[in-house]
Amino acid sequence: MSNFSSVYWTQFIAIALIGLGMVGFLIRRNAIVVLMSIELMLNGVNLLLIEAAHRSGSADGTMLVVFIITIAAGEVAVGLGILLNLYRIKHSSDTELYKELQG
Amino acid sequence: MTDGIFIAIGIFTLLCGSSVILCKSPVYSAFSLILSFFGLAGLYILLESPFIAVIQVLVYTGAIVVLFVYVVMLMNPNSSGAYRNWIFMIVSAFLAWAVSLYLLKALTLGVAPAVGGAHALSLKEVATLLFTKYLWPFEILSIFLVVMIVAVFALAKQSKETPNE
Repeated sequence: MSNFSSVYWTQFIAIALIGLGMVGFLIRRNAIVVLMSIELMLNGVNLLLIEAAHRSGSADGTMLVVFIITIAAGEVAVGLGILLNLYRIKHSSDTELYKELQG
Repeated sequence: MTDGIFIAIGIFTLLCGSSVILCKSPVYSAFSLILSFFGLAGLYILLESPFIAVIQVLVYTGAIVVLFVYVVMLMNPNSSGAYRNWIFMIVSAFLAWAVSLYLLKALTLGVAPAVGGAHALSLKEVATLLFTKYLWPFEILSIFLVVMIVAVFALAKQSKETPNE
């Protein structure tokens, strides 16, 4: 699996995931799906890191992915906590209604 | 042969990823996210990182997506419209296209040939690295997790005092 063509395929898949996450982040109105799009982008980055670690033969990329996954779990917990508080105030998960957050 | 499997799993992952952002119901999005994460775990196995694949399934589909589904159940999932207006769609499509093209160009230009010393990182090696080379990031991460637990508790407690409008 370390030949040249699969390297390109991995990068294509990872970058497509990042692009998908970006599109979802921008076009969706539901705040939960916006958080899911962020997860998609993080997974694209993880895939790139794993591929780089596999290609270079060092363990650094793998360890970085372990840390990223841990931080992503915490980020989702805090993000969903904030979202639930917003939902209790606004009674909706529509990001259009959260506009007063911009100050 | 492996390339074919790799491409098939990759296309499966991308299809599930696009259904995450296209499904109107957040519940369907969450389940597509689970399938997408399983596809990614398969890619990690093919990239000789079985440890990360296990972590991916355990943490992402076992914890994060369950959290998402739980929050969807607490909320009224259909209380908002699905998409923003078409200006956002066009701008985001252009932006994603430009960024993807830039990343693809930057990454494929800098691709180094495989070193060849790649091997599957065993659990023992991961544990050894975690307590030697990556000791400080590991400890800082534990403090970070404690901070996050306190933050979530503060958020949950505060919400009881929040006045309902």
